[in-house]
Amino acid sequence: MSEKKFGIVLDARKCLNCKACTVACKFENVIHTGDDNYRIWVSELPVQGTYPNLSMEFEPSQCQHCENTPCATVCPTSATYKTEEGVVLIDYKKCILCKACMTACPYDARFDSHAHHAIEKCTLCYHRLAEGREPACVETCPTKVRTFGDLNDPNSEVAKLKGRNATYQLKADKKTKPRLFYIK
Amino acid sequence: MSSHAETKKSPLAGLITYNKDIPVMPLILIGLVLAGIGAVTALMVLIKGHGEMYGVTRQVPWGMLIATYAYFVITSTGLAFIGGLGHAFGFEAYNKISRRIVVLATIVLIAGFTQILMEIGHPIRMMIYMILTPNLKAPILWMGVFYGIELVILAFELILVFKAHPTAKDHKMAAILGFLALLVGTLATSNLGFVFGSLNARPWFHGIYFSTFLVISGITAGACLLMLIHNIVYKFNIPAELTKPMNSLAKLMGGGIGMMMFLYLWKILTSLFNSPDGAYQSLMALISGPLAANFWIGEMGLAIAVPLLLLIVAKGNTKIYGVAGLVYMVGLFFTRFDFVVAGQLPVMRAANEGSNVITDANGLASYSASAGEWGIFMLGIGTALMLYFAAEKFLNLKTPDHH
Repeated sequence: MSEKKFGIVLDARKCLNCKACTVACKFENVIHTGDDNYRIWVSELPVQGTYPNLSMEFEPSQCQHCENTPCATVCPTSATYKTEEGVVLIDYKKCILCKACMTACPYDARFDSHAHHAIEKCTLCYHRLAEGREPACVETCPTKVRTFGDLNDPNSEVAKLKGRNATYQLKADKKTKPRLFYIK
Repeated sequence: MSSHAETKKSPLAGLITYNKDIPVMPLILIGLVLAGIGAVTALMVLIKGHGEMYGVTRQVPWGMLIATYAYFVITSTGLAFIGGLGHAFGFEAYNKISRRIVVLATIVLIAGFTQILMEIGHPIRMMIYMILTPNLKAPILWMGVFYGIELVILAFELILVFKAHPTAKDHKMAAILGFLALLVGTLATSNLGFVFGSLNARPWFHGIYFSTFLVISGITAGACLLMLIHNIVYKFNIPAELTKPMNSLAKLMGGGIGMMMFLYLWKILTSLFNSPDGAYQSLMALISGPLAANFWIGEMGLAIAVPLLLLIVAKGNTKIYGVAGLVYMVGLFFTRFDFVVAGQLPVMRAANEGSNVITDANGLASYSASAGEWGIFMLGIGTALMLYFAAEKFLNLKTPDHH
């Protein structure tokens, strides 16, 4: 069993909403066109404050690579699985497109992919990790919103960042234990 | 030739016949037409793909075909439950109609399978990988197991109920199979509730409610369908010897609707009072949102109020039982549709700019069934009509009095 535990720490305050991450993801993973076809997204959160003291934040997000995976639990053919490093992946050839995982995911992170004839979602660019490269969304971000790495390695940047800052997880009440941590 | 010799020649003697008194040719033809339209639709789905033909979206991944699947298979297990009451639990009235119960349960189950096979993106892959790499935690896996076993049990029951001269051993076996059909059917249907109840993201489905509601409404549907088809077969003039089973079915139906009302009441109140996130929005979608017409007219009107009123005024009139059964079966379609869709309408993140989430004025996702989905539903309805009424026309479905 690998001792690595991949995760991402996000500092959404740095996000410019340039959407370079969403474009990089689409190019890297050859995501076909279509309103429902996307692995990551950037939500504009409602404007805070009253005029003239206003602020606006963005919330980039994707599959949370949960430790408690509601998507994998309901998959009848074990098509959705977790790697040793905790990355949640889909074995396309086993996916029967029952869409139970889509219905179970509290983050709306999955879609029916016409390219793969299977359910598709963020893989943390798993194919790049073996080459020592970061996920495309992490690599392309001009302000370094996302920091990716091994959460179990105390010397990793991601572990240091998580240790130095108070963080929160999306929909923590769902008890899914996401591997994406947002700096407060 | 003696009758004993005939029995030896063919244990299923007298099975195939032509019942000229049973006026179901128009229904067989309607079934053929509907199944034909459904077959063409199925072909188009295979050519164009699900994405082109179905109205489901990323936000509402399960649509009408899951609802129609539930409509058929739960009704089938309800029928099997009633058959089990007769064969295994001494409710003799139901033994008088056991052939129709078993044939109807089998055909309605097959109609349900047409829906799920056209809904699942890779049905063949499903059969392979559910065996090679099954996920024993997944309720859908158990759904396949239970409904598969149910079909096998019904197949054995079919052989038994059509035996012209059943022996004491056959009666014992019928009791065992009846009990198994009841047990596995109840497991299958309550597990179907858990298929939804296991969805982390959809609080509307959590808890014991749907597993219970589906079983109760399914048994009620079984009773309704039996009263309806007996009225059709006997031209709304059911013979005296079948009055007792019909009265018993009417009681079962009335009790079932009563229990459904009880379940509705507490589900609605518990979802209203603490406004649990997700479940509250689903309830509001039903009572005052996009599903309100379905809920009040279809679910509450056609599947609860009207059939209950008809039962109250029937006072033993079997014709009115038949009408009540028909109205309930129409209403039940809306019940199943609402069940599947309402839980999926609350969105998973706010519909802010960039979130890619689209909502209506109520802040809910939207879904409406496509022509393709209606076409596949016609495949199911057509298959059921065609096969069942062909069985009425060409087989002897009148259960011989063997007691």
